[in-house]
Amino acid sequence: MTSILYLGIMLFFVGAVIPLISVRKTKNYAYILPTTGAVTLAIFGAYLLFTPPVNISSISITPVLEFVFRGDAISGFFIFVISILTFSVSIYSIGYTKSLANKGVMGFLFSIFILSMYAVVLSGNIITFLISWETMSVVSYFLVTFDREEKSARAGLIYAVMTHVGTAFIIALFLILYKYTGYTDFSDIKTAVKDLPDAIKTVVFVFAVIGFGTKAGIIPLHTWLPEAHPAAPSNISALMSGVMIKTGIYGILRIAVDVLGIGPEWWGIAILVIGAVSSVLGILYALMEHDIKRLLAYCSVENIGIILLGIGASMVLASNGLYKLSAIAMTAGLYHTLNHAIFKGLLFLGAGSVVHSTHTKNMEDMGGLIKLMPYTAIFFLIGSISICALPFFNGFVSEWLTYQSLLFGFKSVSVTAKVVAPMGGAALAFTGALAIACFVKVFGISFLGMPRSDHAESAKESSPSMIAGMAILALLCLVFGIFPDSTIKLFSPAVLSLTGAEYMSSGKNILYISEIASGLSPLAILVAMLAIFFAAVVLIRVVGGKRKITYGDSWDCGIPSLTPRMQYTATAFTKPIRIIFKKIYRPRQDVKISYTLKPLLVKSIKYSSEITPFFDRYFYKPVANFIHSIAGKVKYLQSGALHLYLGYILATLILLLVFMS
Amino acid sequence: MENLQFIIIIIFSPLIQGIIRKFKAGLQGRVGAGILQPYYDIIRLLKKEMVLSTVTSWIFKITPYIVFISTIVAAMMVPVITTKITTKSSFSIMGDVIALIYIFALGKCFMALAALDAGTAFGGEGSSREMIVSILVEPMIMLCIFTTAIAAGSTNLARIAEQGYIFTPSHVLALFAFMVAVVADTGRIPVDNPDTHLELTMIHEGMLLEYSGKYLALMEWSHYMKQMLLFTLAVDMFFPVGIAHNIEPSSLIVSSGVYSLKILFMAGMMAIIESTRAKMRFFQLPSLLGGSFVLAVLSLLTFIMIGK
Amino acid sequence: MKNWIDLLYVIDFISVGILLSAVVLNTLKRLESCIKAYIFNSWLLSILVFFVAIKTGNLHLYIAAFLTLATKGILIPMFLSKIVRQMKVTRTVEPYLSNSLSLTISGILVTIVYTSLREGILVTGFSVHVLKISIAVALIGLFIMITRRKAITQVLGLLFMENGLFLAGFSLTFGMPIIIELGILFDMLMGVIILGVFIVQIRRNFSSVDLDSLTTLKG
Repeated sequence: MTSILYLGIMLFFVGAVIPLISVRKTKNYAYILPTTGAVTLAIFGAYLLFTPPVNISSISITPVLEFVFRGDAISGFFIFVISILTFSVSIYSIGYTKSLANKGVMGFLFSIFILSMYAVVLSGNIITFLISWETMSVVSYFLVTFDREEKSARAGLIYAVMTHVGTAFIIALFLILYKYTGYTDFSDIKTAVKDLPDAIKTVVFVFAVIGFGTKAGIIPLHTWLPEAHPAAPSNISALMSGVMIKTGIYGILRIAVDVLGIGPEWWGIAILVIGAVSSVLGILYALMEHDIKRLLAYCSVENIGIILLGIGASMVLASNGLYKLSAIAMTAGLYHTLNHAIFKGLLFLGAGSVVHSTHTKNMEDMGGLIKLMPYTAIFFLIGSISICALPFFNGFVSEWLTYQSLLFGFKSVSVTAKVVAPMGGAALAFTGALAIACFVKVFGISFLGMPRSDHAESAKESSPSMIAGMAILALLCLVFGIFPDSTIKLFSPAVLSLTGAEYMSSGKNILYISEIASGLSPLAILVAMLAIFFAAVVLIRVVGGKRKITYGDSWDCGIPSLTPRMQYTATAFTKPIRIIFKKIYRPRQDVKISYTLKPLLVKSIKYSSEITPFFDRYFYKPVANFIHSIAGKVKYLQSGALHLYLGYILATLILLLVFMS
Repeated sequence: MENLQFIIIIIFSPLIQGIIRKFKAGLQGRVGAGILQPYYDIIRLLKKEMVLSTVTSWIFKITPYIVFISTIVAAMMVPVITTKITTKSSFSIMGDVIALIYIFALGKCFMALAALDAGTAFGGEGSSREMIVSILVEPMIMLCIFTTAIAAGSTNLARIAEQGYIFTPSHVLALFAFMVAVVADTGRIPVDNPDTHLELTMIHEGMLLEYSGKYLALMEWSHYMKQMLLFTLAVDMFFPVGIAHNIEPSSLIVSSGVYSLKILFMAGMMAIIESTRAKMRFFQLPSLLGGSFVLAVLSLLTFIMIGK
Repeated sequence: MKNWIDLLYVIDFISVGILLSAVVLNTLKRLESCIKAYIFNSWLLSILVFFVAIKTGNLHLYIAAFLTLATKGILIPMFLSKIVRQMKVTRTVEPYLSNSLSLTISGILVTIVYTSLREGILVTGFSVHVLKISIAVALIGLFIMITRRKAITQVLGLLFMENGLFLAGFSLTFGMPIIIELGILFDMLMGVIILGVFIVQIRRNFSSVDLDSLTTLKG
């Protein structure tokens, strides 16, 4: 079966090379190769889910440097997720990259980026993991700065710094594990780690949360997401937001859950709190964004929070000995991981189409796109409904499971867990309501109403391959939404290997949790809705008869001709939220009035308002200033005099001689 | 048989609206319209021709149906006069109380979208405000639900109703919070004024501004159903005493009687609240809703700390 | 056996000479004499290697001794003298520190090396004395690089350091494989040539070989 893996990898490699060497016109058709590669690797991922762990290969370079690739159910699940998104994004890229400069480099980086993500989740030891991880970071850095604009360069810098801060913690935690267990292989570490003192385990756990959390984008380590995701081309944003940040989740699962095993309860509670804070603040910041891609990036922070709520609940329940319930919570977390990859990918692809055809990322310049780009609009709507967790799309199922898992927290022993878990549920409800507001704003302002600018007016529907890429994901949103039990069966081996228990729904097309005697059947909801729809249509026809429809202008209070500028703007839409949550946003407003004849004739009023980026200002800026001042002092060491440098060397040597021998 | 109880809500919800209006008229010293007036309104609207804005898209046309059917589907999950809907084949397995809240949210989401569709400032304003209110209300409803669900050990509404909890400290606190949520969610004073079409004060009506004819009928009817559904939800969660646990005709009759009394009580409460309160300024709402959010948190904490 | 001990005695004696030539470098004023000290140092080094070669009878040690003599004892000094002759003006070294102070510091360096390196450090090799001396020579070379202004004396310091390191490696391993020795010697030769070119260039650009003027290059 590993031959399938090799076939897939070969397809990606060929897919990387061909765009570099082929003629300019056909370069974008090379994405067919990653598409087929994704199919083969999806098969391999499914295979990994249903077989015992497979040793794929280990290449020994030197005794220390050994590349070990191993697949188990957890990697299988993530491979599956990556493959699904890669498949549709590759199809989308055929059309999307047509007008791109540097198509060849793009195609090359695209395939290598995906391969590096596969390598991360298949890594079997520390060295392999770190090298794959760094490859992924570096390649994605090049993709972020692909535009070669000043803005992307800045975004790339922030991304590079943040990702390496995270990597530093990851390296530290691996070194600690290596020092105390003496192994580099994950499976060896896993068996040896049981004898470690609790303090060491705690340090490893904290480092894992910080290190992988940076990649996943938990608050307050999220700052790179809203910079890097909008800067990258949209197909890459979809991959980064859909699956690359999931490698952070993979890392947390692999180290904090799989390798370290069941820890003290406060680990789970810490993850819960991080999840709750990330989800609420993530969506609050998303609401204030008018750049459609930045908004989606903040939304990823929110969804990572929701995933962590599930994982955190699972950890809390496991440390309370409730393994069966822990499995349900883990199912919720993994389900949302899968779902977020799909709908966030879909939304970024949709945003990509919109930006591609309107040449603006600012929602205030869009509007009325539903008539000009009907397919993109409907797929974007499906993505929005899914991310808002509304029935019967996939987000609904995973958030429902997350709610249930948080309610299980009440069954744990300690009072802290009993209180924190339902509060996490309240945070999730808050997040849910904010998400609906957020996506009503996105969809309502950019797709509905009248076009707000010439750009929007001249928008055209995207090319067929882009539509096909989005259609696949939209379909999956529906499929994973109405067949939850089959979906859960697909990845329950991963849950089994993470929690030692399994959640098996009893019943067909029903999510039934026997512990609390409640269930959910999206398919039944869908069928009922369709039935009622037809009944309603018939009823209205019978009672009301056939009436003609008159078309006219919107209600304009009797003053003719509404202009697009009179529409509610995105800023206006969220203004009440800005006022209500001013403690969080700390908004600043600026009103500039210019007069023709003061104070009677007003020529123009310019209103601008911005929110304080809380973490940038109160967390990162002090840190940056501190480092800057230290650097200013250290600068004197760097005098430029050769003799002084030699003196440093001599001093070091003597110190080494004195202290080390 | 027990699966058809949602029809009660479909049929009687306009009546409840009529009764509330009548109560209100009485409290305000007016005669008021007959209690069947909402039925006449719906039928009249169904027969009228429609005027649609040329700006609108298919979102605008699909919304009344989505709101209507999502409300009915939500009604299917609620035990109205009997709780005997816990078997797996039954509707209650379609979803629990959490799913119910999200099905409501589906309708709300589309309503807010449709309000933005016509491209007017009123629609946008209504949509924006509705979203703000739901942001503040939804966590509160969830916390109330958590309290009752944890107490009952299930999120299945039939199970919650079977427990027959009444007036434990936590339930009383949760009930108060929930009543505020019901007031806010049904668009009543002091949160919203259901009787006005004055643009500056309206939330719910602002969103419906562009609707006419049968679409408006569907929207209004859904609104009545949602109101009755929320009453029923409150009844099921906080004072389910008297609800039948089987489908024996005799107990069903008793249950129906008790149920109508409880709903009438709720309707009276609404009328009293609406007649004695003034509408709040929009930006005072956070203090009201925040206060009741604290109540909901307290109810959960109370349950965790003292166990009832 | 006795023969071996005698030879060790001779080897220790030679190594003390190596150390002395390094220490003496601190007091020398003229560049020509500095180069002579280096020649002396390199010759002693190759003699030492030659003796060890006699003792062990290893062919490649003979080659190593010969190569050391050829490059360090003849080629490099010739090249250096040529550079010194090219730069007619400055033939004196101008240290930052006075002679007596630098002598004292060299003494302290030697003491530190002698006290801090314990006997157990020598796992293989033939003499712990030689090891200590070699490290001391390397440190003194570094110290000279620090305290001299002229680029050419920097090169000399580097060469002393290299001699010290060569001796250290030799005393630990009885000489590395011949290919590595060849590589190192070739590297050195190239290094010195390149440095020579640099020195001439520096002189052309800054009209002196004083390294202080390089600090202006700092950003």
